[in-house]
Amino acid sequence: MTAVIDKPATEPSRWAAPPRPVWEEKPSHTGLAAKGLVLALACLAILFPLWIVIVTSLSSRKTIDEAGGLVMIPKDITFVAYQELLSGGQVTRAAIISIVITLVGTLFSMTVSVLCAYGLSRTGSLGHRWILMTLLATMFFSAGLIPTYLLVQSLGLTDSYLALILPSAISVFNILVLRGFFQGISQELIDSARIDGAGDFRILWQIVMPLSRAVIAVITLFYAVGYWSAWFNASLYLNDQDMMPLQNVMIQLVQKQEAPVGLGQAIKTGQLSGLAVQMAVMVMALLPVAVLSPFVQKHFKKGMLTGAVKG
Amino acid sequence: MSNSTVPRSRAEAETTEKTPVASGGATGPRSKPSGKLSLKLRWRRDRVLLLMTLPAVALVLLFNYVPILGNVVAFQDYDPYISDNGVVSILNSPWVGVENFQRIFEDSAFWQAVQNTLVLFFLQLVLFFPVPILLALLINSVIRPRVRAIAQAVLYLPHFFSWVLVIAVFQQLLGGAGLLSQLLRDHGYDGLDVMTDPNTFKFLVTAQAVWKDAGWGIIVFLAALASVSPDLYEAAAMDGAGRWRRMWHVTLPALRPVIALLLVLRVGDALTVGFEQILLQREAVGPGASEVLDTFVWWNGVRNQDFGYAAAAGLIKGVISIGLVLAANKVAHLMGEQGVYKK
Amino acid sequence: MTPNTATSGPSRRSFLANSAVAAAAVAGGMPLLAACGGSDSGSRDGTTSGKDAKKILPAYVASNVVTPDIPSKNGSSVGFTSKLDLAGLKTSVPKKLGKGSEVTIMSPFWGSPPKTDNAYYRAMNDLIGVDVAWQNQDGNTYEQKLGAVLASSDVPDVVVVPGWNMSGKIPSAIISKFADLGPYLSGDAVKDYPNLAAVPTDAWQRSIFGGKLRGLPMPASYVPNIVPLYRQDIFDKEGYEVPTSCAEFMALAKDITNAKAKRWACMDMKWVSFNAFGVLSGSEKPLGWNLVDGKLVNRIETEEFLEALEWARKLFAAGVVHPDAEMGKNAPDPGPKFAKGEFIIYAQDISQWWSRAAEQAVQNPEFKIWGMDLFGHDGGDPVLWATQPANIFAFVNKKASEAVIRDVLAVANVTAAPYGTKEYMMTNYGVEGTHYTVKDGLPTKTDQGNIDVMNAYVMVASPASTLAHPDFPDVTKGQVEWQQRMGAFTKKSPFYGMQIVEPSRYTNLSNDFEQLEDDITRGRKKISDMQQAVSDWKSKGGDKLRDWYQKILDENGSAAS
Repeated sequence: MTAVIDKPATEPSRWAAPPRPVWEEKPSHTGLAAKGLVLALACLAILFPLWIVIVTSLSSRKTIDEAGGLVMIPKDITFVAYQELLSGGQVTRAAIISIVITLVGTLFSMTVSVLCAYGLSRTGSLGHRWILMTLLATMFFSAGLIPTYLLVQSLGLTDSYLALILPSAISVFNILVLRGFFQGISQELIDSARIDGAGDFRILWQIVMPLSRAVIAVITLFYAVGYWSAWFNASLYLNDQDMMPLQNVMIQLVQKQEAPVGLGQAIKTGQLSGLAVQMAVMVMALLPVAVLSPFVQKHFKKGMLTGAVKG
Repeated sequence: MSNSTVPRSRAEAETTEKTPVASGGATGPRSKPSGKLSLKLRWRRDRVLLLMTLPAVALVLLFNYVPILGNVVAFQDYDPYISDNGVVSILNSPWVGVENFQRIFEDSAFWQAVQNTLVLFFLQLVLFFPVPILLALLINSVIRPRVRAIAQAVLYLPHFFSWVLVIAVFQQLLGGAGLLSQLLRDHGYDGLDVMTDPNTFKFLVTAQAVWKDAGWGIIVFLAALASVSPDLYEAAAMDGAGRWRRMWHVTLPALRPVIALLLVLRVGDALTVGFEQILLQREAVGPGASEVLDTFVWWNGVRNQDFGYAAAAGLIKGVISIGLVLAANKVAHLMGEQGVYKK
Repeated sequence: MTPNTATSGPSRRSFLANSAVAAAAVAGGMPLLAACGGSDSGSRDGTTSGKDAKKILPAYVASNVVTPDIPSKNGSSVGFTSKLDLAGLKTSVPKKLGKGSEVTIMSPFWGSPPKTDNAYYRAMNDLIGVDVAWQNQDGNTYEQKLGAVLASSDVPDVVVVPGWNMSGKIPSAIISKFADLGPYLSGDAVKDYPNLAAVPTDAWQRSIFGGKLRGLPMPASYVPNIVPLYRQDIFDKEGYEVPTSCAEFMALAKDITNAKAKRWACMDMKWVSFNAFGVLSGSEKPLGWNLVDGKLVNRIETEEFLEALEWARKLFAAGVVHPDAEMGKNAPDPGPKFAKGEFIIYAQDISQWWSRAAEQAVQNPEFKIWGMDLFGHDGGDPVLWATQPANIFAFVNKKASEAVIRDVLAVANVTAAPYGTKEYMMTNYGVEGTHYTVKDGLPTKTDQGNIDVMNAYVMVASPASTLAHPDFPDVTKGQVEWQQRMGAFTKKSPFYGMQIVEPSRYTNLSNDFEQLEDDITRGRKKISDMQQAVSDWKSKGGDKLRDWYQKILDENGSAAS
């Protein structure tokens, strides 16, 4: 019952299948084919629209107009949409702001959530049901926009980055998932640690956390994605445009292409199409996935948390 | 599943029987039924745990409960602009009793929206909810690391698309002037406009939701699968269990608590289905087929700044949701699962 | 509701001060019929016009600084078609009026706002003599932000409120939170601000909220703003004639449409149909009422309304409408499909006449867009109904000191400068050399200009509705002449120009009609469903609402002409 991290002695090509355990039967050809087909179809259903998005983001107005909108077959490649996004120097500043908020916010949320989830993971502990119900109720009763705004304003948090972190720091859903996984950890391990004199903080840090790396990676990802893609609170609580995070700047850049023509100020006559900008924003929204995906997947290796959970 | 106070699930019992490697539920001193210890003892035992929950509880009390008190305007003709102070505005707004609730219940469009919401919920429960689980099992059974990594990354992507884009892409492919229709016309058939057909709209919405979020949904299940010891599989194989039996007796039991938890929460959220997604397509098929509870409230309360009405609708929804989640949790207990909380 | 789920709202593709479609295109789709809200708190609802208004309204003193190439006629905008003479720019504000106060202005903004401190803002502030600090807010979520800010104790000095955000209790908030500008502007007082004195009286009339002059308006032409735009180049090539009746339109549409070749005649023609059948304006609730034989009748009660829906439905049924139109306001941007020629007629705000032309000019020289005249359904003259003469307003905080109010008016006096003045160029183009360059009498914005010179100052107050596209003088001419021809057929309904706040118990009454109209035209519901809805409307409060409006009419007199 020890946490052993399973590591093959020699690292084979990552394309190749690792050696099959002796007890595992040889996979049937039909089984493999069926699996491959399903996966391929699922990926195709995603990659084809993605292709359209990318191609459109790289197309000139002429190509887009000839296609009547989204482009499926590339005719010319131009980066004007990306240039439009990156010009003006706002995107760099906003990206830094977003990264800092995401890092600080995620760290804060994870600390609070992991503590809370562990604090609630021992069934029968004092008051845990009351606290659980208190948290649970907030999933179903929401406050109106105006009371929330007035609260944040009266706390003096408007035009402060705290307004983008504190009100949305906690996801009860995430806490419940964490708690669910914590409860799955072998009680024997914890009890024996306690007999050795470990306190709750030490048990959490030295036993529970290492054994929960997969779920902690997942919830960290959930929080990080949440902070990264949030924009409404910023538009509500920040007045200073120089403070805006990336998502807001992106949304506004998209609007610029399709907005107040009546004021006669936003029309561009060149090769740039509003649709291309919109698609370029979409492509850039996918970047975090590319960055975070390997980070998370590292923690999903089969059986890497051996012994953590009783079957 | 480590709790001794609940009879171990059938699946667990089966697994442990087959796989002696895994330990049974532990019966530590902490797990004793709570009633047997004095309050003082329990306080001394659990105060550290309580301390740990304190930051989260404080945040929730301040940022959720304080503004939730503002929902008393459900019983008012609330005018937030009669003073500069939120509390004073509430105190000075006229009380109208349950008038807002009456207005909601007497509106036939409300009941239509409730019906649409529930139909969509059940549709998505059957057609959406299992998809991430199946995908996770599929991904988990792929053993080539590179294939696994790429498939995962691709499956996550659509979650990061906005609804505006998803709908634009669907329109491009399946709309009346889209790829499919044009293909049909080229071959002498009539065009087929999937996007504006009220009869199939609920399936369309479900398909869009699956496309966008099913891939993202697998990651919690992958986390659960990562925790299954290969020893269990080996032991099961030694006992002569084949591929499918191993999945049934080892893999699925590992997923069961997570599935149960998510299912209970999903049932509690039954009245929430795709707000933005549906708002964007409301005109395409008309409200008769598309209006759900959230869009109804937005359309009749929020948009008109009818705050009392919107708050009343929110309270109705909250009460029903709490009822649903408690009921679902009960069912989970009866099936031997932990659910969200247990007695 | 969960606002956070909306990662990017439905797009807003067109917008103009007087735009009915603009109101409809606002994020989330506010229906046309809900443009005006109300409150139950006694004196707050209702309107002010007639004799009372006379005392409040600023005197009108025409500006003779610049003479337009095409003067206003039949309610049209004024048009400028000659080249820009930079050296000959007039000065309309000879003396800096600002006294250096610091003024914060909150305003909706579409696009990515420039840095708080930029060359354009500095130059404008310098010109005005006021230190304006902009709080530019995301235009698509402005409604939520506005609602929250007005409920708080932290209201900026100036708040810009577009008409389409005046739903629910916002009008009552305007009355309780914003200052009466009457002492500074009523009667001859306005003469201190000559450019404001040249703002048309109709627009000032619209700026009266709760019996006081509170708004600084952005004037608009009252001629209906929805133009049936068509591809003139394709019409010429194929030999299509511009239709002058419903029957001709239908015949032409069938001729054009060839779904297999991916060509349809048009997009949704509901608004054109309303005009062809003389249906009362749907752009704002009060405009939907008319006096017929001494009795107020609502647009939805008229035969014409049903006939117009029926004809719009026939177009859909005949398959001549592009399938995207069925998606409604959230359909993909029609721009590329129009450029490709997937459909060749669509009805939109008059501003798109120019913007589509400008978009295509460089890369598609053959592309020619033009506006067709509205037609009477039987081929006769159309009966058109005026839209409101102002729809965006700036308001000053009630708590602002006199010095601040005076300085806000100094800002407005500069932003309301007419075309052809230095102040206009600065407001709309920025600093020469930095934000725009002039070549052959054509001002072109630089990259910096495209970043800095957006929205902001133009939202405060504007001169009489002006059309001037130096790069497309023929489009300007076409637009103004279209307005003048259509203006000749335009009538004012009894509540034209009035700022009317309906009591809140009626605000939801006609919410569902716009959707019902669309359900009928797309064949999902029947005309009889509309008749049923109208009779429900009457019994649920429509008749009472009629009495309420009648009372206003009795007290204030009619604007009908």
